[in-house]
Amino acid sequence: METRDAAGRSVSNEWLGRVMQEPVHPHPAPGSTARAAAQTDVLVVGGGHAGIEAALAAARLGARATLVSFRIDRVGEMSCNPAIGGLGKGQIVREVDALGGAMGRVADATGIQFRMLNTGKGAAVRAPRCQSDRHLYRAAALAAVEEAEGVELVEGAVVGLVLEERAGGPGVRGVRLADGRELTAPAVVLTTGTFLRAVMHTGESQVAGGRVGEASADGLSDDVARLGLRLARLKTGTPPRLDAKSIDWERLEEQGGDADPRPFSFGNAAPFPGLPQVPCHVTYTSERTHEIIRANIHRAPMYAGRIHGVGPRYCPSVEDKVMRFADKDRHQIFVEPEGLTTDAIYVNGVSTSLPAEVQEAFIHTVEGLENARFLRHGYAVEYDFVRPSQLADTLAVRAVPGLFLAGQINGTSGYEEAAGQGLIAGANAALWVQDRAPFVLKRHEAYVGVMVDDLIVSDPSEPYRMFSSRAEYRLLLRQDNADRRLTRRAAAIGLAPREAADAAGRKEARIRAAIDLLGASFVAGGRSRIEILRRPEASFADVADGLPALLELALDREEKEAVEIDVKYEGYIERQEENVARLAKQEATEIPADLDYASLTGLASEAREKLAQLKPRTLGAASRIDGVRPPDVSLLAIHIERRRRERAGT
Amino acid sequence: MKATIAAIASAPGGARRGVIRISGARAADIVRACCRVDGAPPTLAERLFFEARFDDGHGEQPALLLWMPGPRSFTREDVAELHLSGSPPLLACALARTLELGAEPAAPGEFTRRAFESGRIDLTRAEGVLALIEASSEHERRAATALLVGGLDGRIAALREGLDGLRALCEASLDFDESDTGHVPTGELAAGARAVEEGLAEALTWEDRRAQQSGLPRIVLAGLPNAGKSALFNRLTGAEHAEQSIVSGLAGTTRDARAADWVVGGIACRLVDTAGDDPRADPRADWGADRAAQERTGEERSAADVLLWVVDASAPPADAPAAAEPRRSVLVWNKIDLARDAAPSARLLAAAHEHVAVSAATGTGLADLGLAAARALGVAGGAAPSGLGRELHARHKACLAEAHRQLGEARANLDAGAPLDLYAESLRAATASLDRITGRTTPDDLLDRIFSRFCIGK
Repeated sequence: METRDAAGRSVSNEWLGRVMQEPVHPHPAPGSTARAAAQTDVLVVGGGHAGIEAALAAARLGARATLVSFRIDRVGEMSCNPAIGGLGKGQIVREVDALGGAMGRVADATGIQFRMLNTGKGAAVRAPRCQSDRHLYRAAALAAVEEAEGVELVEGAVVGLVLEERAGGPGVRGVRLADGRELTAPAVVLTTGTFLRAVMHTGESQVAGGRVGEASADGLSDDVARLGLRLARLKTGTPPRLDAKSIDWERLEEQGGDADPRPFSFGNAAPFPGLPQVPCHVTYTSERTHEIIRANIHRAPMYAGRIHGVGPRYCPSVEDKVMRFADKDRHQIFVEPEGLTTDAIYVNGVSTSLPAEVQEAFIHTVEGLENARFLRHGYAVEYDFVRPSQLADTLAVRAVPGLFLAGQINGTSGYEEAAGQGLIAGANAALWVQDRAPFVLKRHEAYVGVMVDDLIVSDPSEPYRMFSSRAEYRLLLRQDNADRRLTRRAAAIGLAPREAADAAGRKEARIRAAIDLLGASFVAGGRSRIEILRRPEASFADVADGLPALLELALDREEKEAVEIDVKYEGYIERQEENVARLAKQEATEIPADLDYASLTGLASEAREKLAQLKPRTLGAASRIDGVRPPDVSLLAIHIERRRRERAGT
Repeated sequence: MKATIAAIASAPGGARRGVIRISGARAADIVRACCRVDGAPPTLAERLFFEARFDDGHGEQPALLLWMPGPRSFTREDVAELHLSGSPPLLACALARTLELGAEPAAPGEFTRRAFESGRIDLTRAEGVLALIEASSEHERRAATALLVGGLDGRIAALREGLDGLRALCEASLDFDESDTGHVPTGELAAGARAVEEGLAEALTWEDRRAQQSGLPRIVLAGLPNAGKSALFNRLTGAEHAEQSIVSGLAGTTRDARAADWVVGGIACRLVDTAGDDPRADPRADWGADRAAQERTGEERSAADVLLWVVDASAPPADAPAAAEPRRSVLVWNKIDLARDAAPSARLLAAAHEHVAVSAATGTGLADLGLAAARALGVAGGAAPSGLGRELHARHKACLAEAHRQLGEARANLDAGAPLDLYAESLRAATASLDRITGRTTPDDLLDRIFSRFCIGK
């Protein structure tokens, strides 16, 4: 307990805050003249989960934000599964909420089934997930944008970037719309998802476009390539949608939500859950299903060699599952409602790009789906992404002043990952325009920080999805403490509301007070209540009995859990904090931007190539680059130190 | 660009042949400026061994020139070795000449540091080189050679692989829900954990044996039966030690030499307890066993770097033991709790470097005893300054033991119902402990400490 200060931050983190270098924008601010001449401050292209958070974050920071979307009625669309959260992802939603973002509140208002996952495996890997009503989600997300002060919505197809020559190369000044209009802004945030040079595949048929019924953005893709940015291709898939009326529900296993559902949002004041709750269902593929898929595998675009992009290993198509896990005789299928007022059913687990008739044939072999009617067939999308190693930790493109990228355009997958990046990109675009210090989260501070750091030091070879194992300081980054970790910091720059920060402060103080009370109270045998609570099987209720002062604190459910976790994880958390401190020096050592890697003779050639290409800003980032080994990092450290001494000596 | 470095790489003191080693981009220029092969500067295109003439600016002498162009050299830089006459003044002149020609004197350990930095060797190998240089005896040299050829890093790599596999299982279990393909049954995890723990335990024993072979400085307890040697041994090495000596009021209980680690003045040592000097004092004499014990005691004493000669202050002997070398001996005036006013005689004092009054029973004076032993180790020479190979063993062992402890504790917690995310955390910590051995996560200060101990020229 002594390792925390009055504000509840650990002292070692305080210390870190001092020793770690402050992050910097990669380009000098555009200046007030450029800002005054432009129509808006931050122009966000794309109204998906990244774009929404980017525009809202910029506006919260006091910048003028404009969001341009193909179709306003598609803002907040859930292009794939109608669900928010999940393992590794639920933590991001909680962080986005703690940072003032909209995703958590929208999900709370439109969720039709809430579950806490992984409850038996420990507090650090517990994660919330909900099924959403797709239509209501979209409406609530659009409402959040429309109601936000300082955000303007523009409908239009962006066909290109407006560039201008600046010292050191071209900069971005705005975007061009299909109708010939130009929108100008010193900062442009691209959140175009899978729409760059997008091709949809269903069996042998190919259609240009990033989502059913929507066009591809090829002009933009050309402009991005013209800027000299390196692109690569990825693919992602989506399963068929079925008609609820055609499913034999009696034959499926029912899977309900939690009896005591929890909201994503920390400040959730609305009645929760706000919508009626519904069950999901589970069924399985059969040997017959697998036979049909195997017999038609040559007609699957990826197996037939038509798709060149790499698909995700963690969310494979049903073709992949059947071919790669040949020993499994069945695979699970989650039958998920898309909403309360629609008959559309999302069949999670059978994403496919097989021809329509093959999809129908294999789906009809699944128990309960024998007579299922297809509302839409599954398809795969192949698209361009910008190799994210060209980004700074603010998600600004290092080579192009004024350009920021977030979401699937950076090679990531998932609404939550997109939202986290959108928030960081939008906030930093605003801060850059306003000539204020950037807002960067570090690996030990947030999953969002882990994600950004991962992206900028390595180019994903499959769509990047968050896993809790990516976070080496996972015990510090829990879904339950996102507000305690982040809200006060966000509020300090205006990113989160003051009241939310006050609430997080009060929560922290109450938790501390409870722990102090438990530490000062002894039971028979001379042991403190803290010691008892530390045992794996003990719960808060076990130690709260007969401690009136504790009852007077009237902790809510979340706070009681936080007390339990803080006490049980204390030793481990301290060790992680020590590790953070130990690595701080390396983490903070800045690599001079003009360092000539070619002159460092000791570097292994792979390391030299990657370092020269990725130009990591700190030794910590360098050490995480794949192919850079410890001797290379030592050599860099020694070189930097020698150079510093030489400069100091002269 | 790194400086080109040069140093005398052969052992100091006149040997028949001496070696100047040069490493760096300017090595070729330097060699061409001071060496002639067949009357002309050598071409140095490929790896070669030349007969040459070396000119130190004052006169020529015959030399063998070994040229190893980078990256096919120890440092991955261009390396030249000049094998010259071993006369120290001539070697000094030759080195001075290479420095005139633009080389910089190599810092201690700099050649090896460059090899490590270029990825040529990992940390255990670098340590092997170091130990080899400092090896003062044939068996130490053998142990160092084993370290150099990768005995340890091979083992660590295997352990690391097992641990990585276990971590992958565990993480998969955390990152996928029960229904997913990646979920792992707990039984499989437990089996993997046991295998890794056993591997670590085995490596620990192995490392322990190696430390004994390479010989930590040996501090030997000697003295008459019932002088309190074993009580002292237990006190100094921790009473709960597994190899605890049997202590009884009855003289002559200790038959076998027992040993345990004892750190004095920052140096890891082996503290050895021996049987008493005088078997005739044992009323339960079993002569055969006693004779064997006496022989071992003799061996231990002759192998001792420092002798702690324990004397019962309440019943001191008249004479010092025969054959003890006073400058390596400390007189331990024990049982002062029983004989407050007694003082050792001049004769006893003369037989030791210094004396310390202690009570093994109460613990009085033990800190002073540690300091006295460290001083004696320093006076004895050899052992203390060249204790580096031993330091390394102590470091490896500590890292292995830490990893083993973390895993064992974590599994016990898991069995007691602690959540899996905490177990995963312990696996991560254990991996970090292992990585400290091979230098994968070695902090810079440790690197500096290790490299500064290298002698110039290697």
